[in-house]
Amino acid sequence: MAEDYRIREQRPHTYADGCGKSKNLECQFRDKKMEVMDRTFSQGLQCQEINSIGALLSLEDSVFIVHSPQGCVGCSVTSVDRYRVGQAHRGAKIYRSPRMIVTNLDQNDIIMGGEKKLKEAITLANERYSPKVIFIFASCASGIIADDIDGVATQMQRDMKAVIVPIHCEGFKSKICASGFDAVFRAISKYMLGTENIPKEEGLINLFAPTTTSYKDQVEMERMLNLLGLKANYVPFFSSLEKMRKVKAAQASTSICKVFADEFMLELDNKYGIPFSHTVMPIGLRNTDEWFLGIARAAGKEKEAKAIIKKEHKRIGPEVEQIRKRLEGKRVFICGGTGRSFAAAVLIEDFGMKLVGLETPVYDQDAQDDIEYLNKLHGDFIVDIANMQPFEQVNIVKRLKPDLFIGVPHWSARFGIPTTHVLEGKRPTMGYDGILYLGYKIADQMENAGFNRKLSKYARLPYKESWYQEDPFKYIKKV
Amino acid sequence: MPQILESPRGSCVLGGINAALAAVGRLCPIVHAGPGCCMQITAGEVLQSGGKIPYFLSGVSIPSSNMLEREVIFGGEQKLRDEIQGCLDIIDADAFFILNGCVPAIIGDDIKNVAEDFRKKGFPVYAIETPGFAGDSVLGYESAFKAFTDYLVKPSTVKQKNLVNLMGIFPYHEPFWEGNIQELTRILQELGLEVNSFFGYGQSIKNIQRSGEAALNIIVSPHLLKGTEKVYKEKFDVPSLRFSGVPIGATDTSNFVRKVGEALNLDKNLVEKVITANEKYVYYFYEQAIGKLSWKRFAVVGEANNVIGLTRFLANDYSFTPVITIVTDTLYQQEDKEQIKKEISRLEYIKPPEIIFEGDYYKVTQELKKHDITLLLGSDNEMEIAMEKGIQFLHTTFPVTERLVFNRCIAGYKGSLTLIEDLYDNL
Repeated sequence: MAEDYRIREQRPHTYADGCGKSKNLECQFRDKKMEVMDRTFSQGLQCQEINSIGALLSLEDSVFIVHSPQGCVGCSVTSVDRYRVGQAHRGAKIYRSPRMIVTNLDQNDIIMGGEKKLKEAITLANERYSPKVIFIFASCASGIIADDIDGVATQMQRDMKAVIVPIHCEGFKSKICASGFDAVFRAISKYMLGTENIPKEEGLINLFAPTTTSYKDQVEMERMLNLLGLKANYVPFFSSLEKMRKVKAAQASTSICKVFADEFMLELDNKYGIPFSHTVMPIGLRNTDEWFLGIARAAGKEKEAKAIIKKEHKRIGPEVEQIRKRLEGKRVFICGGTGRSFAAAVLIEDFGMKLVGLETPVYDQDAQDDIEYLNKLHGDFIVDIANMQPFEQVNIVKRLKPDLFIGVPHWSARFGIPTTHVLEGKRPTMGYDGILYLGYKIADQMENAGFNRKLSKYARLPYKESWYQEDPFKYIKKV
Repeated sequence: MPQILESPRGSCVLGGINAALAAVGRLCPIVHAGPGCCMQITAGEVLQSGGKIPYFLSGVSIPSSNMLEREVIFGGEQKLRDEIQGCLDIIDADAFFILNGCVPAIIGDDIKNVAEDFRKKGFPVYAIETPGFAGDSVLGYESAFKAFTDYLVKPSTVKQKNLVNLMGIFPYHEPFWEGNIQELTRILQELGLEVNSFFGYGQSIKNIQRSGEAALNIIVSPHLLKGTEKVYKEKFDVPSLRFSGVPIGATDTSNFVRKVGEALNLDKNLVEKVITANEKYVYYFYEQAIGKLSWKRFAVVGEANNVIGLTRFLANDYSFTPVITIVTDTLYQQEDKEQIKKEISRLEYIKPPEIIFEGDYYKVTQELKKHDITLLLGSDNEMEIAMEKGIQFLHTTFPVTERLVFNRCIAGYKGSLTLIEDLYDNL
């Protein structure tokens, strides 16, 4: 096992299970009175391996070896799709598939160990594609049988030009899937940055982008940075080994998602003196301002940024006002990943809507900062600290009867309430242009809920009627 | 033994079981595994079958024990018991099946014993012990059928002579499974038969339970469900008729209808009447599209169940030229390979295509590179090589994420019409 293994649960005051009213949670966290809880009944989670593979699958000239049984590459389909669509949006004539090899650990390997198969896979990867990078992703199975993927990588590296990068993302190690991002960045740091010194590039900004960023979003972020006279080094989504190596040359760093590259940016600051901005996801007017100001400050361009913000507000302000008239006062429930759900909660206030409930996968210091802000914006609301857990959500949503549900729509749509999503990895949702896209989308979908209304007459949810009478949080117990 | 595979087609054992349960509906999987398996097995199988999301439980709504380091060290049986109790409390299902992930299987949790404890208390909780790492999703489907015959099917000495079980089309593992089942059911109903298909619209646990009353299993696959076939014969006294893959187009479908007629000793006049009526219907349309599709030299890549029918239909009935057929199933038995080869090669007018058995993405791509073709029927995996070659491509076999498929079918009489519609190109 890698000596530097660290998961999100090991960060101070980080909680993956819990519930309560937002103002109460704010106090509890501040007073360090939050307790570690667990669910005695739960639904499926996202494992960290899903995040690790997703974060890297679009990297050029790479082969991705998943050291696991066949099932552990299931979720890569989402990233493969985003990679293909991303190429289409970038004007490619031929859509490449990521080169992904699964070692297919089986009964024999479980007993005898799977390192031989892993070596074979590395050799195959090299013969077939002569890649620049070969990634190795660990799995629950490879972890429990204690295959030494680091040792295999070191050994194979001796005779190979491709950089071999083992990633410790064993699913059972963490229930917070963002740990998988951290594992990726630790591996990047260790194996991909190179040891040589490279000259600083004035105005170059590391823009850390997760796989859920659309091409339009990339263009908007780059446009905003260009307005400040800055240039983005867009990594690791749709990037390359060369771009990863360039990370060290940057003047400053920022991330599109709050839970993405946060530790890594700190490390870059400590090791290479690259300042960074860790703020919010640039979704919605205020969040975009804050995100933009954050990176401007880190790059010493605060004054310029303020002037640009003024201009941008003037540009889109009137349209936001029009959207606000259509949405003012509507009550909203939000579910999503940490970055998006908190960002959406601020976005809806741009349009005068009110938050009544929020699901967030993790409660930590970052979440506390957001909750403090949201309490000021919205007053008290219900918080479900959960990685999805739709059984709790349907119970809460049925009680709260919100005017709109923002997030994964599959279950709440069946109640007939309007649903929409801010997580659209193929559409423009970020920056100043994104606000208008989301605003019109939310307003149109909210006003025209015919599909959900008619669907609700026939749609079925898998829960007993009695469940809706129970406390939605009854399975959350103190450990 | 499972081999190293590039871009595998389908999930692990758990993916196959989960897909089978989802297609029946109201059957609750309880995934005893690490966190992430619910999403992985859903995304790796059902979500790659034309984009649909099963209505009952899928992905993050599937109950799971989400085993962590603590369970790896101390065992996960207590966590599983709590999880099952929660399921019984809140999920409105007809039966509950524990799926055995890699983590509990390696550390040795006794899920069978846990299930038995709940059954003793009168709850329909069953364990499917085949672990995730035992093989691919196809083995999962087979394991689901084993669980059905072990726990659900009721033995019956009285047989209903008009009741048949339609098997061999694995839900979700074939993008057009639901439409194909509906089309074959429609045809069998015209013969006066009642059909248990287990999967899809209008089917439920009841159809599985009463499958022991059937007069015949009709298995539309050259190699799947051999164990199930044996169990039905020995335990439930239901014989099986095996048809080599899903029949597509008039020739193979009429042959299929005649075989069913013979096996059940149906009135020959009725059988011929059904065949004539359906063939007339198909040719009524073909007649209106003479010369509408340009001549094609084609390749087919996918699972045996579909590529046999596709190759035969396009070559025999539509006069396209078969160049290469790649069978992607993981096949361990030489006799299965020979049988499949025989079926593809048995063409009426034209010389058979080259036949290859290969599922690895890279090797399949290399094979396709060698051939001069103008049409490729395949899966997401073959999209890139089709674009590189600049030829016509149709998403036909698993996995398919590039099109949404509800009840569209390619099987039987009507399906062949849809397929030709899809193959029309004005380039």
